[in-house]
Amino acid sequence: MTITASTLGGAVYDRGYRPYDGPRGGRADARWALWRLTVRRALGLRRSWRQKVLPWSLLGLVTVPAMVDIGIRYATRDTPVYEVDFEFLTFREYLGVSTLLMLFVAVSAPDVVCPDRHDRVLPLIFSRQLTGLDYVLAKVGGIFTIVFGFAFLPQMLLFLGQMFVSDTGALDYIGDNADVLWQVPIAVALLALYQAAISVALASLTDRRIVAGIALIGLMMVTTSVSAVFVHVAEPDGTILALLNLWTVPLVLRDLVFLGHVERFGPLDGVEGAAIAAVMVYVAMVATSFAVLLWRYREVNL
Amino acid sequence: MPSMPVSPPVSVLLRTHALTLTYPNGTTALAGLDVEVPRGSVGLVGANGAGKTTLFRLMLGLLFPTSGGIEVVGRPVAVDPIGIRSRLGYMPEHDCLPNDQTAADFVATFGELAGLPPRAARQRASDVLDLVGLDESRFRPVGGFSTGMRQRAKLAQALVADPELLLLDEPTAGLDPVGREEMLELVGRLAGFGISVLFATHLLDDVQRVCDHVVMIDGGRLVLAGPIDQLVERTGVLRVEVGGRPDAADALAAALTGRGLATRALDHQTLDVDTAATGDEAFDVVRDLTADLGLRLYALSSRHRSLDELFLQEAARP
Repeated sequence: MTITASTLGGAVYDRGYRPYDGPRGGRADARWALWRLTVRRALGLRRSWRQKVLPWSLLGLVTVPAMVDIGIRYATRDTPVYEVDFEFLTFREYLGVSTLLMLFVAVSAPDVVCPDRHDRVLPLIFSRQLTGLDYVLAKVGGIFTIVFGFAFLPQMLLFLGQMFVSDTGALDYIGDNADVLWQVPIAVALLALYQAAISVALASLTDRRIVAGIALIGLMMVTTSVSAVFVHVAEPDGTILALLNLWTVPLVLRDLVFLGHVERFGPLDGVEGAAIAAVMVYVAMVATSFAVLLWRYREVNL
Repeated sequence: MPSMPVSPPVSVLLRTHALTLTYPNGTTALAGLDVEVPRGSVGLVGANGAGKTTLFRLMLGLLFPTSGGIEVVGRPVAVDPIGIRSRLGYMPEHDCLPNDQTAADFVATFGELAGLPPRAARQRASDVLDLVGLDESRFRPVGGFSTGMRQRAKLAQALVADPELLLLDEPTAGLDPVGREEMLELVGRLAGFGISVLFATHLLDDVQRVCDHVVMIDGGRLVLAGPIDQLVERTGVLRVEVGGRPDAADALAAALTGRGLATRALDHQTLDVDTAATGDEAFDVVRDLTADLGLRLYALSSRHRSLDELFLQEAARP
């Protein structure tokens, strides 16, 4: 270190260069760091308030039904308003609310992927201890984590709230609803993986965020509309073409997790092999998304 | 987080053996490159398309050679192509900054991606931004930076993990004269910090300013490699500038020829004298003959070869 005395009695310190001799992680740590940075960016942390508005207001929005449910249960705990048990929203139905998170991933997935290509940051990322696979896992993993969290947290609130206001007691409530404890995490994970894989894959095809967001919403709207036409034509029977609706494919799997079969009186009711077909569509969508991602990040030019 | 074993520094920075890379379209980017480069500041010189960036990609393990081998800081890249990157810092030629991030966030991010713990990465980011002269701009978005500041930010991210070897791809490209001087001064200081530098450029002046070793490649082939001070050693030619009469150079040339010295007149005032046979005695002969002929002696100096001359001379060989 060089110290230069000044005439005023102070000193100017030229700290020069200090080598780093602390701990250094390997490839797994780099992948973990990229996941952490992805989550941080998608949630708007260390960014302006404008970047925080969407994720946190969506978290608030998807939590509202749970809060309303618990509030009504609490208010009516001593004076039931219905002959039967009040049920504003079931755990299974809550997954339907969580599909609204697709709006969040339509914004956040392009935001965590497109700038890396647009600003040509990818060559720098791949000059570190990271491969295309690491990049894909970190990006999809980051979006998966947020969607999982945002879909799971309200369900957990709903469970805990119902447990504490239950007139049969908390322990009895847990005993009566033990199945939910494994059904919810699995169904939420299936939803989160589906939304994360498709959104990041679509976003990887362009370096413009707005294009990626519109493409995702457009894909969902178009498939929903096309599917609705086929379902309408087939009414009152069900049709396998209902699976063209990419928005609701995870909800069919949700029904398989919660009910063990497709929804009664739904668009797939009575269709032979609908459950298997739904699983195949789900797997194909996720596998195709990963294939696209690995292809897009197989090689990066410096 | 585990601490990676620190191996003692090796003396050879880069070693290639018959390194060849042919792309699937048949283009040969590197053809049988054999080179051994010691630690320090090394210039990698070649025209556009000479194979400099391809060599960087091979060093980073992002490409694999068609044949031959490559070792970086003593480790064969083929054995651990990803692990080798933990020892390297890379500054690309092109723009590569996330415009919506502050310089501090950008550099700290790449510290974390290099395996540093988050707190250490932020501290290191602060240190290296200070080093490159961006300490007062660290909380500004890099999207608003000038070209010179962007180049410094790129250098800072390459330095943040304290690499053993820094790969700089055209670090002075696009800079104005002042920015270029500052960047060269900065690069020149790195050797003093114990960081070896491989400095790819087509500007030989830059290499001569900050490097002590040079590797010249052209069309994927090695043209010349060696310590700069040896390559630009004296040429055995004395350059003389004389005046006092219109045919001064011719008159002196005739007199020198009469004394057995080979000469080559460049213009009416300047001539080169071959000193290979006589050595430094030629200085005295030139001085005496100039005085005898009544000429004015304006300049008398040994000529050193420039890297440009060397490159052109060697590249022209079949």
